[in-house]
Amino acid sequence: MSMEQTLLQKKSLPDKFKKISFLIFGIGLLTVIISFFVDSHRFAFNYNILFSFLVSIALGNMFLFAIEYLAGAVWSTVFRRINEIFISFVPFVMVIGIVVLLEMHSIFHWTYKDVLENDEIVRGKTPYLNETFFIIRFFVYTLVWTLFAYFMRKNSLKQDTTYDQNLTYRNSKLSAFFIPIFAITITFFAIDYLMSTEPHWFSTIFGVYYFSGTVLSALAILTVVSILLHERSYFDKILKPDHFYNLGALLFAFVNFWAYIAFSQFLLIWYANLPEETFWMIHRWENGWEIFSFILIFGHFLIPYFALLSQQAKSNLNRLKIVSIWLLIMHYVDIYWLTMPSGFKQLVFGWIELGFIVFCVGIIMILFYYRYERMKNIIPVGDPKLKRSLEFKL
Amino acid sequence: MRVIDYTIEPPVVEGNPSLSSINESIIKPLESKPTRGWYIAISISLTMLLIGAISLGVTLWKGVGVWGVNQPVGWGFDIVNFVFWVGIGHAGTLISAILFLLRQRWRTSIARFAEAMTIFAVMCAGLFPLIHTGRPWLDGYLLPYPNQHALWVNFTSPLLWDVFAVSTYFTVSLVFWYIGLIPDLATLRDRTTNKILKTIYSILSLGWRHSGRHWQHYEMAYLILAGFATPLVLSVHTIVSFDFAVSIMPGWHTTIFPPYFVAGAVFSGFAMVQNVLIIIRKVFRIEHIITLDTLEKMNKVMLATGMMVGYAYAMEFFIAWYSGNPIEQFVFLNRALGPYAWAYWTMVTCNVLFPQLFWFRKFRRSIPVMFIVAVFVNVGMWFERFVIVVTTLSRDYLPSSWGMYIPSIYDIGILIGSFGLFFTLIFLFIRTLPVVSIAEVKAVLNSSQPSHGGNH
Repeated sequence: MSMEQTLLQKKSLPDKFKKISFLIFGIGLLTVIISFFVDSHRFAFNYNILFSFLVSIALGNMFLFAIEYLAGAVWSTVFRRINEIFISFVPFVMVIGIVVLLEMHSIFHWTYKDVLENDEIVRGKTPYLNETFFIIRFFVYTLVWTLFAYFMRKNSLKQDTTYDQNLTYRNSKLSAFFIPIFAITITFFAIDYLMSTEPHWFSTIFGVYYFSGTVLSALAILTVVSILLHERSYFDKILKPDHFYNLGALLFAFVNFWAYIAFSQFLLIWYANLPEETFWMIHRWENGWEIFSFILIFGHFLIPYFALLSQQAKSNLNRLKIVSIWLLIMHYVDIYWLTMPSGFKQLVFGWIELGFIVFCVGIIMILFYYRYERMKNIIPVGDPKLKRSLEFKL
Repeated sequence: MRVIDYTIEPPVVEGNPSLSSINESIIKPLESKPTRGWYIAISISLTMLLIGAISLGVTLWKGVGVWGVNQPVGWGFDIVNFVFWVGIGHAGTLISAILFLLRQRWRTSIARFAEAMTIFAVMCAGLFPLIHTGRPWLDGYLLPYPNQHALWVNFTSPLLWDVFAVSTYFTVSLVFWYIGLIPDLATLRDRTTNKILKTIYSILSLGWRHSGRHWQHYEMAYLILAGFATPLVLSVHTIVSFDFAVSIMPGWHTTIFPPYFVAGAVFSGFAMVQNVLIIIRKVFRIEHIITLDTLEKMNKVMLATGMMVGYAYAMEFFIAWYSGNPIEQFVFLNRALGPYAWAYWTMVTCNVLFPQLFWFRKFRRSIPVMFIVAVFVNVGMWFERFVIVVTTLSRDYLPSSWGMYIPSIYDIGILIGSFGLFFTLIFLFIRTLPVVSIAEVKAVLNSSQPSHGGNH
């Protein structure tokens, strides 16, 4: 197959990309370090947001990877190597996360001794919310995710040379085990790092809420990266609008799913009107935070909903690219909205937050650059489903 | 290790049957005299229906006092059965609409039957809130229309949202089902020699001539309806879950309810479709159309949704503890250890434990195992609603007003009657309309797809 042979030679990313990545990363890092000395409380909260966002990207791609195997999807095989690049972020992201553990006292006030003494409700949660167990859980997440990421990629990469169909079978099995473990770990991750910033508040749907954003952001980054590479001929023009249509349709589906989950949570809390739950929502509806609530309603749901509604929009590459970047920003805003008001009564948004976003972009670009350069090829050439994937038509 | 060839698409229909043999095997039951087995089956279901009719008659004559409902358990079997049947009605539109949008070709052989089942299940479901009102002859006021009595519905009540959600769902499911039937009705019209039948089929098939232009419009209409039905499927059980979750009853008010109910509905709906299809494919000898592979895929969906339901049980338990709210904590301990613990453990065993067998390919592909597991799932999902409704109501905030709920013979009679209605409708359906979409199955035959596969 000649097409596969041309694809065996992967093009390198230009040096310019590397330079720009380092520049962005450098600016971000500098701002972040300065912010630590200016306002360590805000630094810690922002760092937690950054970490959760990066976890979303890496884990969301693992989920997409697993679902491809489990559903026996064919069209997505051409994109799988891009998934794998983001999956390989996992150990790095977890190393980045260690700072959150070090800064635990600035983020989670259930770690304060005086809170534990005076607050009966928070005290009741100590069997779960205590520093030791929190750190243990961090390492459990790290271990589990890293192992899965390692074996999933290993099987897939091995197939490039062996063309062994059994590896697909093995990855399907691995994916089946991954999904329930993923569901449990991501839920408790969300509870630990996002929900417990406000230790009084609770919501059973919270894990699903974070999951919906996770998958959406993973789809968005997969879409935007694939389109950018496609436009610069990294895929040798083998990708057709039909392939992108599927990504667009899934983005649309998960925009709706996120809205469904967010609305369910909001409506039930609003309607029941129990003070033990509503205070969390009210807090996000006053002191300037309502701006972010509005941004989410419009930016995370209505705008992308209408932007992706029509059939043409889902295979319009420019549209998809813009919406994907937009949705990535929105997922960041979403995590910001979830955690930041827990630590700050008044709206805070300024150079520190922008610096963290720049830092986040820098991290993703640098990690992407190095992980991409280590890949031998840009599509899984040994995958038995590849031929059908290339021929895919709607 | 099993060797699977991933380079080719697995066929939906086995054995590459010819187009005319597909016609034969699906239409034959409609053209032949009913068998003895069919008569026995419908006698049983009609008897069940009769039991239900008598129980309902007594209820209407004497009032809902003959039921087991009491203070504090004002919602008993009627609401449990309502939620159960609405849940069963979820698989149909999920299979026909959502799997259609996901381009799952294996849905073609089961979609028609699942859709019909949806309609029948929603009919059974609709019965319960109507009789639950106590004076069903006044149910017309559930619809908001200007009237002399100046009676107006309460738009802030999720019970009213149910009226809209369920009736919309029923309407769209019916239209969707009917649109899908049109090409098949035309096929029936062209085959039949009976004059009366020919007239009926001619009217129902709306002048369908299998022309290219007809197909083009048909496919567009089908796609639009699928897009339309998709949010509806999710919304119906979401709104049913709101009936509970917007309240401040401990055990009911929890934010995970909407997606949890939807997952549970799909779970039980698939179990019911699978149960009935196993029998139909055997009796009709269409095992090559509704293949073991298709059943295996359904089992996988059941495994996935079963675990989602299990996730929700676990999450409710965890957050009840985590919330630090003693009342919430009590409710969950009461579920697991209280007077209705047997119902709770039945639910957990049937819904979470038994479906785990589907992790193994051997069990996923064993007809007896999957049949039994699906029966357990149906039982478990009924008990889930029982647990939700009854345990919460029987022991709420004030221990002095606690009570127990014991269903009366009429409650059980009406439940049996709803099964009777459901199966009677199914038995009539399989005698009058093709249980598998002939047109759609032909479209997924390997011979009709020149670009797919190599063996043609």
